[in-house]
Amino acid sequence: MKMKMTEHQNKPMELITLQHVCKYYTMGDQTVKALDHIDLSISANEYIAFIGTSGSGKSTMMNILGCLDKPSDGTYLLNGTDVSSLTANELARIRNREIGFIFQSFNLLPRATALHNVMLPLVYKGIKFSERKRLAIKVMEKVNLSDRMDHIPSQLSGGQRQRVAIARALITNPSILLADEPTGNLDTQTTKDIMALFDQLHNEGQTIIVVTHEKDIANHCQRVVTLSDGKVVKDIMNKRETSSV
Amino acid sequence: MFSLIESFRSAISSIRAHGFRSFLTTLGIIIGVASTIAVVSVVQGLSHSINKQFEGFGSNSISIRSYTPRSERLKGKLARITAEDVEMIRKRVEGIEYITPQLGSQVGGTSGIKYKGNQAFSQVAGSTYTYQSVQNIDMKYGRFLSYSDNQSRRKVVVIGEKLREDLELPADPVGEFINFAGEWLKIIGLADSKGSFFGFNQDNFAILPYNTMQSLNGNLQEPDIFVQLNLKDPKQFEDIKAHIKRILRRQHRLTGEEQDDFKIETTEQLTSGISNIIDTMTIVLGGIVSISLLVGGIGIMNIMLVSVTERTREIGICKAIGAERHHILLQFLIEAVVLSLLGGVIGIALGYGLGALAAASIPGFPPANVPLWAVGIAFGFSAFVGVLFGILPAAKAANLDPIDALRYE
Repeated sequence: MKMKMTEHQNKPMELITLQHVCKYYTMGDQTVKALDHIDLSISANEYIAFIGTSGSGKSTMMNILGCLDKPSDGTYLLNGTDVSSLTANELARIRNREIGFIFQSFNLLPRATALHNVMLPLVYKGIKFSERKRLAIKVMEKVNLSDRMDHIPSQLSGGQRQRVAIARALITNPSILLADEPTGNLDTQTTKDIMALFDQLHNEGQTIIVVTHEKDIANHCQRVVTLSDGKVVKDIMNKRETSSV
Repeated sequence: MFSLIESFRSAISSIRAHGFRSFLTTLGIIIGVASTIAVVSVVQGLSHSINKQFEGFGSNSISIRSYTPRSERLKGKLARITAEDVEMIRKRVEGIEYITPQLGSQVGGTSGIKYKGNQAFSQVAGSTYTYQSVQNIDMKYGRFLSYSDNQSRRKVVVIGEKLREDLELPADPVGEFINFAGEWLKIIGLADSKGSFFGFNQDNFAILPYNTMQSLNGNLQEPDIFVQLNLKDPKQFEDIKAHIKRILRRQHRLTGEEQDDFKIETTEQLTSGISNIIDTMTIVLGGIVSISLLVGGIGIMNIMLVSVTERTREIGICKAIGAERHHILLQFLIEAVVLSLLGGVIGIALGYGLGALAAASIPGFPPANVPLWAVGIAFGFSAFVGVLFGILPAAKAANLDPIDALRYE
């Protein structure tokens, strides 16, 4: 592993490198190859979409990239660290520091205020309250939610909830923003707003990975990787559409 | 550390979010702790009061009373401690600070005590001036018996509050005369009220000088005297006891095989006997009610397991954004402990109230007394129950797979 890392460091620095990554699930007596020997790299400040139909392996891809799951085989280097052999707690720490999650169903804690939801990742990082609050207010301002900080999720609209989730994802200053169908539960106008926010974050240097089945959303990104049956079938650079989704 | 504070905050908010359910969950603990505290407080109140009753006797005090073994009683014999015995002890035994004989009345039992057409029945005893300190008597009016009252067989009497009421004597009865067994006795003092003990009124008495009582009794019957001795040095107890035993056996002409027809006891023996019984009672009752704490703990475990299932998705979110195993474990453990402690605190308050209520509703029962150790144990035990029954649900939460948890509907 050490050798790989040295070897890796000689190349131009990639943020994410997947080498022969496989993920198998056993269902009954059948083995399902959710990911089948994926080789892929993503550099910093890329804006990339994984697209595919259901069952194509994009959810598994998102779980592996997000360090929620470990590959059955192969190597996943994140920022030069091989994360395929880490323990559950070490993975939790990587998720906390390197990855900002954005989910289709927002996944906010229902009883906590927007501000508390945004501060939560810093609790696990061991940051004290006053500092947590300062950083959270800053990031809430960035997503234009300064006036909704004391509301609980049920008092917020879908778009506002997703903004809270984005603020929560951004607060730890992660290497990757990992969005799973981020606009799946939103109407067209809100989708537009959220994607505009993504564009803005990308322009500020943020690496963004979007997992989606919607071509429109995918086309918004610089690079589109199409998955099918656990394999990369297409990997193209988009001509950037800036006008509309 | 910050996560600890956050866990507390989260635990409180979760408990508040399910207020009624949380209350029902802690009810088991509340009942358990409340009954423990109530029982302990009543029993301890009793013990406290008994100890206080005997405090006055002191540890340097010995009591001697006659004792008729069962076999002798069947033959119709009755053992007695006679005036001669008392005199013998007074003369022969060294190391006695003072000797307080108490002589019951053998006359006037049927006619009672009379005052201006009122009649009352009371415990009448003859004793000496030392009786005051032995029985812890405080005077409300007048004085207690003096040394010379006894020497010159004065016809004087000290009475208790209850007797004063029964005879409808004035509030300050000093100087009034009452009639007992055909003799007029002058009241020289009224004792302060002591209240009742086990429903037994302690203020219904009349004490006259020992020698006066003896002459009232006349030669009708050989008296049976109850004697209290105060020792100069408590360390001499065994020696003095052996000496008294030798004297009394000789006085009563008891041969080698015959049993003692008297008992020599320290009040300490008496109190330690009682407190042994009370301690056993406390442990047994405490044991029984702690079973309800166990049941309460199972209730907490049950609801915590439900809570973990309900919040599976939340746990998944926390794990996704970086919560480690111990963060989740701590959060649920703290919630269980907070629930349990909440029950403990309410239980202690409720138990104290119940104990006080029970003690107050039984006439003559001493007031409830909650010792600090009982509060400590109740508190510690409920925290322990929280940890014990919270650990399983908390571990279940901590071990959830983040992907499965996130997918949970």
